Amino acid sequence: MLSHFFLMVVYAVIVSFFFALLWRRDRRERLVLFLQMFAGMVGGGLLLAWLMYPFPPGPPAPIP
Amino acid sequence: MAEPTSDAGAAGRRQAVGNPWLAALAAWLVPGAGHFYLGRRGRALAFLALVGVSIAIGCHLQGNLYRPLPNQPLTLLATLGCLGMGIPYFVLRYVAGYTGDVISPGYEYGTAFILTAGLMNLLLVLDAWDIAVGKKE
Repeated sequence: MLSHFFLMVVYAVIVSFFFALLWRRDRRERLVLFLQMFAGMVGGGLLLAWLMYPFPPGPPAPIP
Repeated sequence: MAEPTSDAGAAGRRQAVGNPWLAALAAWLVPGAGHFYLGRRGRALAFLALVGVSIAIGCHLQGNLYRPLPNQPLTLLATLGCLGMGIPYFVLRYVAGYTGDVISPGYEYGTAFILTAGLMNLLLVLDAWDIAVGKKE
């Protein structure tokens, strides 16, 4: 459950589905918007992860 | 109800389908309730499920249910975002005593899910208003 990738995919599914329902009325248009948003979020996340890969991880964040 | 809305004559304007204040209040109190009141039953149930699942995952991950903290003005904005979920916020905070757990491994993700649930419901309030006044279908 605490896999970063799994949680990112679940988040992307919920948000994409929500906006597809909110912004589109036609079933096909909803599917297209869902796929565009889902691919944008997951693909964008993977791209950012890939771009950050060469950088070393910093120290752990302090607990407030 | 067959009468056009106050901006009669505007091209493409749909007729009002309900009281916008009541629709917006219902939408804020219970996710999806505004759409249910306006007769969009299927969408209402889907929105309820989406916001509910987002809250449930956020709480399962022990995300932060924001409240205003002194000398931290941004927590006020975050609190307003969380308050967007309506009744669930008050139930979680004052009935269940939920606050989140900052040392939980899923804290940051859970906070994102909880905040998103509140913000999604705020968008539902605006959507219910627009449907009620005839701006949207």
